[in-house]
Amino acid sequence: MAAAGSVTVALHVAEVLETIVSGCLGPEGRQVLCTKPTGEVLLSRDGGRLLKALHLEHPVARVMVACVSSHLRQTGDGAKTFIIFLCHLLRGLREITDKEKDYFLFENIQTCGRHWKNCCQWKFISQALLTFQTQILDYIMDLYLSRHFLSIFSSCSKERTLCRSSLEMLLGAYFCGRVGRNNHNLISQLMCDYVFKCTACESRFEEVLEIVDDCFVELKVGVTGLPVSDSRIIAGLVLQRDFSVYCPADGDIRIAIVTETIQPLFSVSGSEFILNSEAQFQTSQLWITERTKAIVKHLQSQNVKLLLSTVKQPDLVIYCAGLNGISVVECLSHEELSLIQRVIGLAPFALSEASSQYELSHTALVKFCKPLILRSKRYVHLGLVSTCSFTPHCVILCGPVQGLIEQHEDALHGAFKMLRQVFKDLDLNYVTQTSDQNCTSGPRIYENSREKNELPKIVNSSIQRSYQDTVVKNKGELAKTQTNLKVCSNLIVPDVKLEKTVLCSAPKVAVTDSYQTEETLRCSSPNKGTIMDDHEPYIESNSANSTTENTRREISYENLQVTKLARKDSMLPLRYKSLEMCSSQSYYFSSIPAGCVLPVGGNFEILLHYYLLNYAKKCRQSEQTMVSRIIANALLGVPKILYKSKKGNYSFPQVYVRALQALQTNQPMISNQTGLESVAGKYQLLTSVLQCLTNILTVDLVINIERQPQEIYDQDSEEEL
Amino acid sequence: MSRLEAKKPSICSREPLPGGRAGASLAALRGLVASCYGPAGRLKQLHNGRGGPVAATSHSAALLAGLPVSHPVLKVLTAAVRSHVACFSDAGLFTAILCCNLVENVQRLGLTPTTVIRLNKHLLSLCTSYLKSEVCACRIPVDFGSTQILLSLVRSILTSKPACMLIAKEIDHISTLILRAFLLTIPENAQEHVILGKSVIVPLKGQRVIDSAVLPGILIEVSEVQLMKILPIKKSDSFKVAVFCVSLSGDLSDTGEGTLLVSYGVSLENAALDQLFNLGKQLVNDHVDLVLCQKVIHPSLKQFLRTHQIIAVDRIGVSLMEPLSKVTGTRPIGSLGSISPSSYGTVKDLCIAKFGCKHFFHLIPNKTTVCSLLLCNRNDTAWDELKLTCQTALHALQLTLKEPYVLLGGGCTETHLVAYIRNKTRNEPESILRGERCSQTELQLITEAFCSALESLAGSLEHDGGEVLTDGKYGHFWSVQANLPSAVNWPDLPSRCGCGLYSSQEELSWSFLRSARHPFPPQTCLSPEAKDSADTLTLDCFTAKLSGLQVAVETASLILDLSCVIEDTN
Repeated sequence: MAAAGSVTVALHVAEVLETIVSGCLGPEGRQVLCTKPTGEVLLSRDGGRLLKALHLEHPVARVMVACVSSHLRQTGDGAKTFIIFLCHLLRGLREITDKEKDYFLFENIQTCGRHWKNCCQWKFISQALLTFQTQILDYIMDLYLSRHFLSIFSSCSKERTLCRSSLEMLLGAYFCGRVGRNNHNLISQLMCDYVFKCTACESRFEEVLEIVDDCFVELKVGVTGLPVSDSRIIAGLVLQRDFSVYCPADGDIRIAIVTETIQPLFSVSGSEFILNSEAQFQTSQLWITERTKAIVKHLQSQNVKLLLSTVKQPDLVIYCAGLNGISVVECLSHEELSLIQRVIGLAPFALSEASSQYELSHTALVKFCKPLILRSKRYVHLGLVSTCSFTPHCVILCGPVQGLIEQHEDALHGAFKMLRQVFKDLDLNYVTQTSDQNCTSGPRIYENSREKNELPKIVNSSIQRSYQDTVVKNKGELAKTQTNLKVCSNLIVPDVKLEKTVLCSAPKVAVTDSYQTEETLRCSSPNKGTIMDDHEPYIESNSANSTTENTRREISYENLQVTKLARKDSMLPLRYKSLEMCSSQSYYFSSIPAGCVLPVGGNFEILLHYYLLNYAKKCRQSEQTMVSRIIANALLGVPKILYKSKKGNYSFPQVYVRALQALQTNQPMISNQTGLESVAGKYQLLTSVLQCLTNILTVDLVINIERQPQEIYDQDSEEEL
Repeated sequence: MSRLEAKKPSICSREPLPGGRAGASLAALRGLVASCYGPAGRLKQLHNGRGGPVAATSHSAALLAGLPVSHPVLKVLTAAVRSHVACFSDAGLFTAILCCNLVENVQRLGLTPTTVIRLNKHLLSLCTSYLKSEVCACRIPVDFGSTQILLSLVRSILTSKPACMLIAKEIDHISTLILRAFLLTIPENAQEHVILGKSVIVPLKGQRVIDSAVLPGILIEVSEVQLMKILPIKKSDSFKVAVFCVSLSGDLSDTGEGTLLVSYGVSLENAALDQLFNLGKQLVNDHVDLVLCQKVIHPSLKQFLRTHQIIAVDRIGVSLMEPLSKVTGTRPIGSLGSISPSSYGTVKDLCIAKFGCKHFFHLIPNKTTVCSLLLCNRNDTAWDELKLTCQTALHALQLTLKEPYVLLGGGCTETHLVAYIRNKTRNEPESILRGERCSQTELQLITEAFCSALESLAGSLEHDGGEVLTDGKYGHFWSVQANLPSAVNWPDLPSRCGCGLYSSQEELSWSFLRSARHPFPPQTCLSPEAKDSADTLTLDCFTAKLSGLQVAVETASLILDLSCVIEDTN
């Protein structure tokens, strides 16, 4: 059986998926109940999990789910937005075909022929999409959108330190979309506390995030039957098992780790033990007993009070340990062991070493070691002394049902993944076609950068005709630029503040407003101008003595710093290349710096929508215009759903019109939302969706085969005919 | 060879609640649990129709464990109730009924889930903060100086489980036993960190309930054959005890992964037995009087020990090991080699006791916190229910020790709370509406739904068609008989309220429970005379009920928030 793969089919599939996921999107989203094949129930708002739980059969749907899961593996967020965006894109594409239908009817072609013709058209469109994704998107992100970015890091100091309130807003927005609405505040607060409690050294939070992300399963304990509000964080590590033997101990507690049974066995694998007499048997048993006792004694003499074992120890070992005041925890999993090793840097001790008289090197100090009782179940609670930047803490998640606890666990784990992504730089690179008059500028830039010791420039494309260069002086001039910026911001801030007090007369909720002053020194001369961005997320608390934090950041400066680094190895040869190619093209390398965020509530989508439309107006190539338009309109799908339940002044058309007006008049966009979301995540989502769409469009025929499918491949049209 | 089968696609249904399959199943479940509630509750008989055991019960733990639930929404509900019961033992039916009522009442309103959930959360916090506050009139502080309140609590729990088949005299007897067993587990010289002991429930079926007893120490059941082998116990002040957790049967322990080659003529059994005899000799030399083994003792060793006047009891089982080592003060011995003298323990006395047709070996400790509750009941079903109820009561007492309060039972707490919430939301809606984006009408609607859920929960206590009234002063629960002669002025009939705190001589303006009436401020701050006046109160465990309330509202919010259900059919 073969079925024609077409946009209409894909759209039907995407629409079905959209109805499911759109119900869980955003702060107003609702829960979905999944049953596992085992009969257990699971609550979820995680798009990826829902799509997997559906076990879809439709081939197009499976392609979509595969794309979503590969996107999730990369970023850990955005599955629901993926589907919605894809659906809107497909809708946009179908509208175009509907318009062109008349044309086809005119031609009066055979149905089959039309199908192939259709396919050629899709192929064409998908190529245009690909071009868009690789070239135009990065260009617009870098040139236009970057000026709106805020940063999650606080202060203008060189060192990157986390700003607590920004992190709270970022997490708040994340959990709004992931957990039930009566719990998301609690969970995001829990997570925020957790991050800060675990981070010993402010500047090394990335390391902490990595450990937590890797070992999250070992760092949480789920307790059913208690209200969610009982969830908390406790210091130290909780092992999900009881002591085999517990001896209370205070003061200097040392621990040791073993990975094999302490009691020697008669024979190890691959060897043979020959028993010749009963006496021999008895003496060897006696020897085993004595040897075990000696090892345990030795451990005790080294002040070891706790023995962690990955295997089950024989009764004799437990008995001896109990006699010597050593607590024993058995059957640790490898994950738990590796976490402990990462935290305290302790290796398991070899048994051969134990009998000798010299000191055991493989012991470590712990602060405490005691049983922890949670809802009449006993756990081992260890106060590990960390040797890395991660101070061990455990999350205790409570909930009435296991399914809810699992949801919270997943959401927390996803949040750590998301945070790791936020703190990564994302490279952007694009090619601009320069017009004839700019043809000479290519080499000139190159020369400039050579002469001025890596002075980067960003040249505007020919579309705007008047190109503006962002020139950032090298280090000598840096200070000057900064003072310049400061002066500027000082000038602007009072205004902004005034505006703010007018806007936020109601003092209840923390409101974040992003203000951005546009190009204050723009185009004084056609060739040189400095773009300055000044973003100020305000956090105003209930009390009058508002703790105002100014997060100021020079985006363009950051970008360029990264460029400098990158250019040393990869940039130069490419620039040479552009020279050789008679410089009709220039390659640009930039990046979305780590920690870039935008306010939630469709801010990113509306911004990109606006700039894409602007671009489309100026673009000369027709298919580029069309693709940009489709994408720009599809982008609005997500904010439309987000604002669906809002009424009056907060309804989507109102918000949209206000935002566009603000953008056109270069005024700051005012957002009534309190959360933040990662720019890099959104950008990656967009590229993943576009790739998925090209995937779907390039397939013209789906063939069902009986055998285990090895690979889905495109059927050539000639073969079929 | 592995069999690979393609996964079947799941069934996805949107909006499960309004008018869907879930609504009907939910109503069925509510009917089921509500009919079990309270002392007059009806019993449910669970059986599998294939010769399996039959259980007649009204206990939520037994009921929900055996109940097959097909709809996913109900699975959430029952899972929540079961994990609550696993945590607190008590107030399971309360949680289940309240949750069902809330879901049904609220979804009828057709408000958006966001508003519903937010307001429900608010009403819940209103309830919990009131129940935890000092002015709360349905909470009584527990005075551990007297047994009155604790006894009332235990009696209320026993009364609320009709499947135990107890008569009033038996209830009194069992409640005293439970309280005594609980008191025995409290260590005498309590420090900052109190570690409670354990009361082991020993089954004795087919006996009269009155024969139940509490004994300090541990009872180990022995068969008659074993009993004959046990020597007459000599008189002594104390007995030295050794407890083994390792098998004394002479089997070869783990020999490792390699191979063990035994030459011809070498008998490992003899070698192992020699070792056991050496152990026996050591025990004799150490003047041990009693050897207990978790696993099996070799018959030869047993014989050897008997000839040396040592009593040996084996096959104790792992569950008794912990209380045993607590009673005797031993460290379970895991070695066949030399035994450290510090591992031995002592008991004060040993005796053989016969209860009913069973023989027990009774270890009487010097001073420990372990006791045995010998529980009798006429048949298996009733015994199972009684055991569950006893565990519930013991747990409730432990929870009360932690949080020394009890709540008024018999529906009075619910009706009182209803009066409090109604009054609060009517008179001070601003305090709730502040910060919430919703209207006053929405608040009134949700409050009405919440209150009627609590009211019909209280109303579920009445099963015999009687009328339920509430008064206009305390907001308590009064029930009157059905089919009253019309000539009688019925408001004069109820003599005492549900919890037994107030009697009807005072001037109270009665009204039907589920009728519309004007909100009134219920009298707060329980007067001390009031609680002294009544000697038999119906009481509920504070911690369990409070948590049950929270779990019920949280689960209801969860269910109301569902937008679709994906059922995996694999």
